[in-house]
Amino acid sequence: MGSIRVGRAQARPDTPRHVMGMHQGNRGPYKDQKGHHEDGTADARRSTGIHWKRHDTLAETMPNISPG
Amino acid sequence: MTTTEARPTERKPPQLVDMSWDPITRIIGNLGIYTKIDFANREVVECHSTSSLFRGYSVFMKGKDPRDAGFITSRICGICGDNHTTCSDYAQQMAYGVKPPPLADYIVNLGEAAEYIFDHTIFQDNLVFVDFCEAMVKSTNPGVLARAESTSAPRGDIHGYRTIADIMRAFNPFEGEVYKEALKVSRITREMFCLMEGRHVHPSTLYPGGVGTMPQPTTFTDYLSRLMRVIDFVKKAVAMNDDVFDFFYEALPGYEEVGRRRVLLGCWGAFQDPMTVDYRYETMNTWGKQMYVTPGIIVDGELVTNNLIDINLGLRIMLGSSYYEDWVNEKPFVTHDPLGNPVDMRHPWNQTTVPVPQKRDFDDKYSWVMSPRWLDPRTGDHLALDTGGGPLARLWSTALSGLVDTPYVKATGHSVRISLPKGEKLPETTFEWRIPQWSNTIERDRARPYFVAYAAAMALQFLEEAMGLVRAGETKVFENFEVPDEAIGCGFHEAVRGVLSHHLVIKDKKIANYHPYPPTPWNASPRDKFGTPGPYEDAVQGQPIFEENGPDDFKGIDIMRTVRSFDPCLPCGVHMYVGKGKTLTTLHSPTYGANHG
Repeated sequence: MGSIRVGRAQARPDTPRHVMGMHQGNRGPYKDQKGHHEDGTADARRSTGIHWKRHDTLAETMPNISPG
Repeated sequence: MTTTEARPTERKPPQLVDMSWDPITRIIGNLGIYTKIDFANREVVECHSTSSLFRGYSVFMKGKDPRDAGFITSRICGICGDNHTTCSDYAQQMAYGVKPPPLADYIVNLGEAAEYIFDHTIFQDNLVFVDFCEAMVKSTNPGVLARAESTSAPRGDIHGYRTIADIMRAFNPFEGEVYKEALKVSRITREMFCLMEGRHVHPSTLYPGGVGTMPQPTTFTDYLSRLMRVIDFVKKAVAMNDDVFDFFYEALPGYEEVGRRRVLLGCWGAFQDPMTVDYRYETMNTWGKQMYVTPGIIVDGELVTNNLIDINLGLRIMLGSSYYEDWVNEKPFVTHDPLGNPVDMRHPWNQTTVPVPQKRDFDDKYSWVMSPRWLDPRTGDHLALDTGGGPLARLWSTALSGLVDTPYVKATGHSVRISLPKGEKLPETTFEWRIPQWSNTIERDRARPYFVAYAAAMALQFLEEAMGLVRAGETKVFENFEVPDEAIGCGFHEAVRGVLSHHLVIKDKKIANYHPYPPTPWNASPRDKFGTPGPYEDAVQGQPIFEENGPDDFKGIDIMRTVRSFDPCLPCGVHMYVGKGKTLTTLHSPTYGANHG
């Protein structure tokens, strides 16, 4: 901070960047989040846990979009 | 010198009075304008723009996790924070080498479009128009109001007001129709924003690598239904603005000189093309030109470059009148860019912020704002670019480049054509914004509603394309990434009021250097080491005064219109100093005219 006179710091200057063992958001949800596929698509399991297979599309060729 | 040339006039013996506004109201932050006004020749002789606010983001960002940058830098501003998040994510995506799935980019574009519509509407109708409202014009230029009463509004069939004075009455704060409707519209556009980015104004669903927004069909249909509710308001706003601003030129001959400065505009581009952008530095020129608002630097009406790499390498942060120590003797962070081009020591990537608080001295150092300049490779001049309040530079740059050609918006090389579909009451309408003769107060203000229309038109296209992806089942909105040990990145975006860049250097997976450059450091910059004044100073200096009041009840309306036309983003009460030793302290309610009526 150049030549500015400052008092004693009351805060710890820096906390660790990442705590080992914590989930990192940038690693992706696929392992923990049901219904999300590796290729980026998703099925009805993403939106509900109740009779979710019955909420999926009728045919494989149809896109599986959220019920919202 | 890159300043505007002095206007030749016949001179009377000067009658100089110091006039200062500090802080200026109806803007955010502590901006002070200190002027010397020559009442005999009715013009501003000298102007200094100063900020008494030090933020220090570049100081405390060091050592933090780069993934937090978007969330922290969002707090720079309470009105365009999402622009910072977006820009920071762009810079991080470059550093991490990650490209979000197209739908994520569409969601960001839609969120940003809603922000432009929201912010420009609230600023123009609730803050700028107070300077042009009936109550204000009555107290500064009663002659003009009398004329407005008898001048019919040429576009009355669109907006429904018979005379110009009727429009001005609708602008009156707290009670005028336009003022009140704009508040309602800003609620709807804010809802549109929240659908895409989770929360206004500090988004909760924007991350580097993608978004957390759930891309379900209703996300987009809810956005569309809200957009269609405001579309007629946008059409009316453009027509009303044109009527009022044309009237000012007509009623006050010479008003084009107010706030006029040499055409020195910068635009860093907005709305990425989700299908082509890959956020790599090496290809930045290609994807930069495919943005739906074309980046560019315009000098004297001519496009100097629209290559983002050239724009990036030409950035120079100058000192001269700012309370900082120079960093030239520090170690550079980035000597060469990823393409091998040398990076200057005065480039944001290499900047180190060393604050030196001191007394304000207009002959030496007087502001916390630094002086960002762009080095013109043709002349070697350090150009004090302004953003024209944002829309003026964006439309100008897009029009000159002529690259944008979409179903709703087309850049022609000399104008931008914007088509809006049929709304509740008004039919399908096409507007054409033409490159104006001057870069002045009126044109900066006029460009704003046109850009609202532009953002609305682009949003329609993004919606159609995004819904196409959803229907095809392409609902992926996030891409995984790893934080590299060492990397550099830069993000170029348009904050609502103009150019925004973030420059990031990562070392040891931590931020080693981070410099956000929002629009106001460009616009409010003080004199640099070459003595070149910043855009506010340059625009106000030498401008004629049309206000009919004398020194005793002077409001400085023409100066305020000029400063506000830049959409300054630096809260309330007017502190005014008149002449020598005579201090007049006027405490205003937050908005002029609160007690009116």
